[in-house]
Amino acid sequence: MSALGGGSSGGDGINPTASVIAIVILLVAVGIVYVMYPAALFPLIGVIIGGALIAFGVHFVPVGGAPAAMGQAPGIATGVAMLAAGAGLAGLFGGAWAAHYGLWVALGAGAIGGALLMAITCLMVNVVYVYAMGIPAASGKVEKDPITGDTFPEYKSSGTEGHGLPFISYVGGVIGGLFGGFGGTLIYMEFLAVYEAGLPTVLMATPEEVVPIAVGLAGIFAVGLFLVNAVITAYNITGTIEGPHDPKFKRWPRAVIGAACASAVCGMFAILLVVV
Amino acid sequence: MSVKIEASEGGMPHDKMLGIGLIGALLCLYLTYLNNLMGTDFFAFFGGLAAVAALWWGTDSIKKLCSYGIGTGVPSAGMIALGSGVIAMVFATKLAHISPLLVPIGCVIIAAIIGVVLGFVSDNVLNMNIPVMLRMLTELTVVGSLVMLGFTAMVSGTFTFEGLITGSSSFMGVEMISYGPSVVGGCVLATIFILGGIAIQHPFNACLGPDESWDRTQMCATECGFLSMIGIAVMSLAFLSLAAVIVSLIIAVLGWAWSFNELIKLSKRDAYDWLDAEPIREVGGDS
Amino acid sequence: MEELLFGIGISALAGALATIAGAAEDTESDIGSQGDPNSQVQLAPQMGYVHRIYNKAISGEPPAYGLWVALAAGIAWALMAIQFNAVLALVLGSAVAVFVQGVYAVTAYLGRTSSLAKFEQPVYIDLLKSVTSVTMAHAFIAIFTCVTMCFLMIEALGHPFPLPLMGLIWGIALGAAGSATGNPFYGKERQYQKYKFGAGLPISASGDIVRYAEAGQRSSLDNGWFTSKGGGPASGICFGLIVFFELWRTILFEPVANGWGAIIAGVIIILVFMILDRYVESWARKTYGPYPTEEASS
Repeated sequence: MSALGGGSSGGDGINPTASVIAIVILLVAVGIVYVMYPAALFPLIGVIIGGALIAFGVHFVPVGGAPAAMGQAPGIATGVAMLAAGAGLAGLFGGAWAAHYGLWVALGAGAIGGALLMAITCLMVNVVYVYAMGIPAASGKVEKDPITGDTFPEYKSSGTEGHGLPFISYVGGVIGGLFGGFGGTLIYMEFLAVYEAGLPTVLMATPEEVVPIAVGLAGIFAVGLFLVNAVITAYNITGTIEGPHDPKFKRWPRAVIGAACASAVCGMFAILLVVV
Repeated sequence: MSVKIEASEGGMPHDKMLGIGLIGALLCLYLTYLNNLMGTDFFAFFGGLAAVAALWWGTDSIKKLCSYGIGTGVPSAGMIALGSGVIAMVFATKLAHISPLLVPIGCVIIAAIIGVVLGFVSDNVLNMNIPVMLRMLTELTVVGSLVMLGFTAMVSGTFTFEGLITGSSSFMGVEMISYGPSVVGGCVLATIFILGGIAIQHPFNACLGPDESWDRTQMCATECGFLSMIGIAVMSLAFLSLAAVIVSLIIAVLGWAWSFNELIKLSKRDAYDWLDAEPIREVGGDS
Repeated sequence: MEELLFGIGISALAGALATIAGAAEDTESDIGSQGDPNSQVQLAPQMGYVHRIYNKAISGEPPAYGLWVALAAGIAWALMAIQFNAVLALVLGSAVAVFVQGVYAVTAYLGRTSSLAKFEQPVYIDLLKSVTSVTMAHAFIAIFTCVTMCFLMIEALGHPFPLPLMGLIWGIALGAAGSATGNPFYGKERQYQKYKFGAGLPISASGDIVRYAEAGQRSSLDNGWFTSKGGGPASGICFGLIVFFELWRTILFEPVANGWGAIIAGVIIILVFMILDRYVESWARKTYGPYPTEEASS
């Protein structure tokens, strides 16, 4: 996904009225589910938390977009939403596989799956930069790495805004994969619980027969909702971010509110599917 | 330095395209219901035509949205459209046990509700302040759900929840009905989801540039729709009778061949030059 | 014990298939010039540099590969549901997906290049004829190995997801891993070969891509040779390690501590990679040293 287009007019501030309206919409969605299908109240709250965690986690992932592909900016040279989706979905794969061990093991497996994909990818990005292109890592937004204390200005080639993945960006990527995998698996497990509990009565079938339907529905809804939250976060970041040390990182509250609201409404429709 | 997204002015007004796309898609979806009324599955291909109509309209919506420079590029708009559209669509198919005729119109209404919320979140909560964002995201969510409903109707011949969750498999020559080999159980929805997601954003993404022209972009949209129909027709082998699959496949291939041919003609018209095995002609001189 | 050996054997096979998929994916996206480096191919004519590079602008690699692999998986699933042989179903599914990929590539090139008419960039038909089939061939390898890997995970290792959903998930992961690792190599090293090795590209040089190659005018076909020396294997190793470690730690350690064993193993593996990354980073700083200042540079 290329970062085409001029910059949007997205400012840094938070819009208080809009945020309050978003929270009201969230509460209305929760209320509707409470009235129409009370057993699914906690799953819906789980879905909302999952969506918020995905949005929060994606802010950690260092994404450089098109400039990074030419060694002009630090970060990974892919689009935000899709790199996050890759990590989160690999986490979902691991989490769904461990689903029969219980909720917390599945969440752990999902989180580690996402973090593992990011850890290996970020390492190979640095390997390519260092050994294949001869370029050391340097950040353009800070003078010193907050974790290792490495200084950057003298390692930044002139005319660029930095390149590669400094250690803080690497750690940010792993944390981003962690939250993304956790959030995606949480959404999947909550939907799966609702469908496995609710569908047998609605379809008048045994729980074992319903399993393929429940897994299929929960899986595609988790993927869809993950992409919605990742794209909302990408809109918030407006394309590129270096990691947790980037000043753009401070924008995370409004993405979390927005993602929670979107997850609430989408989750409400996905859950009410059972009773309609 | 990034490439500026420019879109052409001119062509059909967007509201007219909205009307044609929405009414056309709904009409074609209701025509697939003829399958249930007549007890056959030959009319499944109308679902594909519904999706083509929706894609034709949705391409213009993405064009209007992305011309403002949203900073992330075109593909993400397609992903958010389909991500929310799939939830709206499956919810709508559940309305079938109130009345199957409610499904297409219910799909549009539910998708519109979700789209308004997403547009509100993107424009106001995230402070993006793009004038058309709310309306275009709503339109895109509706387009996404119609594309999914159309292709699902084409692959399985039905758009009711009951129809989508039951499939048949043969075990030692005996046909058995079960939930596993169905559209939802086998999660063919995943393939339809990403087919729609790429098809929505590809025409504008591929044709953008300073000399983007309305008719060429729209012809690319039609071509993407028919191309996706070919893939869906092959997948419908698992759900429809062989005769119905052949009907769908022939219509998809003919539609694709026609639109692809037209697209090449329009590209020839618009290109600066159409060269075969010629060297680089430097700007303002010979190579 | 036998089950464990079988599981580890399948994870090794899946890891090998994933490595091939990653390498083929990156080579394909460089031959067609897809993804983030493609913004330079789009920009070059606007800066006055007419070129003969294939401008395959099909979104980014993750969603595009999500589509090819999910489509192949969906068709394979449908064919297997009507009792086709599994291998034949996988091959036919990959073939249809490759046809769709080829058509998308052609429409992308025609669309983008026709829209650059103002900058006198012509459409070169011989590029369509020569490069498209090569991208389709590499894509077939990537798609087929990825779908087979998904099929093995479901049938041999017992994952609950159905094949189309697995295809979507691993297609997006394949595109993300291959794109992240391979894009800078193609973007900086190949497209800007004439700029000095060992430094990032100055922003003022954007658009000035290499158009005249080792002998004659550069075509995207030459990128295949280049990528397979560096970016391709790196992407392959990246995706192969991801798949292998994901499967291996689950099969070997999940029965330990009622599921928590695999998670602890995962944490240890992540820490090992973090240490490796820190080593690579400090090695670069020590060996390459800081950039010379303006007065001292040649």
